[in-house]
Amino acid sequence: MSGSSYFSVLTLAAGTVLVCAVAILWLASIRAVISMVAVQGASLGLVAVVLGVHLHDAGLLAAAAVVVVVKAVVIPVLLGRASGSDSGSRESRPLVNVPASLVASAALIVLAFVTGRGVAHFVGTRAGALVPIGIATMLIGFFVLVARRRPTFQIVGLLMVDNGIALTAFLCTAGFPFLIELGVSFDVLLGVVVLMVLSQRLRLEFGDVDLDELQELHD
Amino acid sequence: MTAALLVATALMGLAGTAAGAIAPVRFRIALSSALTIAACALGFVVGAEVLHSGHAAVVHTTTLMPLASFSLALDRFGALFVVITAVVGICAMIFRFGYDGQGLASRTASSILPLFVTSLLLVPAASNVTTFLFLWELMAITSLLLVLTDHARRSEVQVAGQWYAVMTQLGAAALILGLVLLATRSGSQSFAVIAVRSAHLPAWVRSTAFVLAVVGFGSKAGAVPLHVWLPRAHPEAPGPVSALMSAAMVNLGVYGIVRVGMGLLSGGPAWWWLLVMGLGALSAMFGSLHSATSKDLKRLLAYSTTDNVGLMLLGVGASGLFADTGHRALALLALVAALLHVVFHAVFKGSLFLSASSVHQAAGSTDLDQLGGLLRRMPVSGPIFLVGGLAIAALPPFCGFVSEWLLLQSMLHGLPSGDVAIAVAMPIGVGVLALTGGLTAFTFTKAIGIGLLGLPRTQDAERAGEVGRPMWIGAGLLAVLCLVFGVAPFLVIPSVVDAAGAVPGLHLAGALTRGWNVALPGVPGMLAPGLVAIGLVGFGGLVALGRHLVQQRPVRLTEAWGCGRELQTARMEYTATSFGEPLTRVFEDVLSPARDVDVSHLAESRYYTEAAVIHTTIDDAFERRVYRPADRMLVRWGAVARRVPNGSVHRYLAFGLVALIVVLVVLA
Repeated sequence: MSGSSYFSVLTLAAGTVLVCAVAILWLASIRAVISMVAVQGASLGLVAVVLGVHLHDAGLLAAAAVVVVVKAVVIPVLLGRASGSDSGSRESRPLVNVPASLVASAALIVLAFVTGRGVAHFVGTRAGALVPIGIATMLIGFFVLVARRRPTFQIVGLLMVDNGIALTAFLCTAGFPFLIELGVSFDVLLGVVVLMVLSQRLRLEFGDVDLDELQELHD
Repeated sequence: MTAALLVATALMGLAGTAAGAIAPVRFRIALSSALTIAACALGFVVGAEVLHSGHAAVVHTTTLMPLASFSLALDRFGALFVVITAVVGICAMIFRFGYDGQGLASRTASSILPLFVTSLLLVPAASNVTTFLFLWELMAITSLLLVLTDHARRSEVQVAGQWYAVMTQLGAAALILGLVLLATRSGSQSFAVIAVRSAHLPAWVRSTAFVLAVVGFGSKAGAVPLHVWLPRAHPEAPGPVSALMSAAMVNLGVYGIVRVGMGLLSGGPAWWWLLVMGLGALSAMFGSLHSATSKDLKRLLAYSTTDNVGLMLLGVGASGLFADTGHRALALLALVAALLHVVFHAVFKGSLFLSASSVHQAAGSTDLDQLGGLLRRMPVSGPIFLVGGLAIAALPPFCGFVSEWLLLQSMLHGLPSGDVAIAVAMPIGVGVLALTGGLTAFTFTKAIGIGLLGLPRTQDAERAGEVGRPMWIGAGLLAVLCLVFGVAPFLVIPSVVDAAGAVPGLHLAGALTRGWNVALPGVPGMLAPGLVAIGLVGFGGLVALGRHLVQQRPVRLTEAWGCGRELQTARMEYTATSFGEPLTRVFEDVLSPARDVDVSHLAESRYYTEAAVIHTTIDDAFERRVYRPADRMLVRWGAVARRVPNGSVHRYLAFGLVALIVVLVVLA
């Protein structure tokens, strides 16, 4: 793969990760959001594949396989099955509405690019210049955690934070060692399963799955 | 050799802890006390050997604590404090064999007490920042647990524990900041390296570290305005613990100020030492005033500890000031006077606290207004308290006289030096010393007159009897030392001079003792305590003889302090409150006592009074004006802050996001 086309594909894949993140903020239907998660996972896998091919790194390719299997297939399927029980449910009353969320995401992206410059400069490679995209994805994921009520969105937010961290790691150091990537992916999978069980229990217990119902726990 | 003994001391203390934790109930006190006595004895040997030979005992290991080495190096200066702690520790542990009060027999207390004594023994040996802070915190936490031994039965203990916990941890925080600042700025955490490099540090670093150290060590020493825990914690702690805290732990505050100010920083500008002298003067006056008006025996002793710490700080401050202005001989003299007062204070305050605990055990109270007539009922413990009281009132031939005389001399001889700071500070110091001397005499006249003489005021006091032998032996050993050191101070002064000489920059022009006498090298003045004692005994004998010869009439014997009346009752006697009343009136602005007069009338006529009761309560002015408002403000802020986390998961997540953004912005 020639230098310029490698970088174009890499930029496209990394950009897709960020676009998916913004799209998740924009969308209200849980089904659409889950498909966005799948696309984001696949794009992250593509980033790893491109880097692996460019650097001739078999470990990176194996990590890409794990990422694609877990984040683009297994987790979306699990999420889809869980939300199947209340199909068609929407995020009807988010804590921060959609236009405000998009403005906030724009601010977070600017922040990521301003603060990520130092990291990009420090890494020094062309791939390193894309590090702010990873930071932006992580910040938007965190914002989803804060601004959305439904537990499915909480899981999606957590996934986006993890995807952002993984993207940053891929771009900075050509990825974690394969074993760590494997471990992290399964940690995330386990986290998703636990959160899904929790949201099922919430529904059984309260008949609703608004996390703000749980206010009695404070000190 | 000394290093091995130092390790043995620590191991023996830990063995005592283990024995307290696992030994069967029957042997628990005996075994843990015996092992603690052994640890103190080993500590005494190490300290005495180091004081004698001047070779430091060094123990260094890197395996005991992660990332930092555990390092002990006991020099002569530290050795003096180890010896003091060892002596007080041995006496307190002997006392404990007979002491059954306030939950000290429990498994927790039996295992913590040896650990507390061990940490007291090791703190002066610590020679790097981590080791020092580790041992210091060990000492603070074990002493806190020991103060709390009786918390289940009395709620005051919990309050005392809270005050102590807050004050000691605030002090520790200041200490950590100060020492860590020194360690990072000089690039090493070893005391020896810091002492070499500190001279090249910027002035603000040195001054900040010193002020933080004064705050940290001052709160442990009980210096005003950081003393508020002392009059609460000491009365509530079990007897041997309060003796150890007042006679051994408080000293380490003074140790720390000297170690940091003169050792690590090798002296500093005049304002440092004026600050120390100021704290000392304030503590001495405030402490003696409150002890003169307290009516609880242990509270009185606790305030008197603040008073005596004030005198020690006065000496330390004077020493630093002399050193700063180049008067080396006077600097050493003042430091020797301060350290001598540390030694003597440990001896007499230890015996006073232990015999006050004996009184508590025998008469069920330490409230002076519930006591009376105990000198006759406790024929050994009573005189022990009497001796301690005479020593603390600085009367010859007891030891307090010698150290206060030296302190007075060192400050008086500074007057002709011509330096402005000295010319202003020393007369004030002399005045404070004179005032506190008078107030202390007043205080112990009251304690002895109301508590030990007169008629018993309650049935418990009426039934009181002598306590068990271990208790009066423990207190008595210290009382004997009061007399021995008072008559023959040459036994201890050379060691104290050696200890003070270990502080850099101080050396003495000549010996401080000349035969039996105390002489002042470089300045005129001499004290012959032996002759004073002989003179006193001779004079007493002459008076007795003269009375015997002159007296023809038969002697009428009635109670002392009975105003010569016969058939009097306890209700006709002075109380502690009424004895202190004139003083309370004179110092009303400082003490601002709250008076409450309850008058109940006869049912038949309002013109006849059935009973009138006056309650006088004296709060600590610093507690009322400084600590309570600060406490209220913190509680108010806390209530506001509690509204922020309202239980919403989203809000908590938002905290995380905001923190992340702040970190990103700060790092970018």
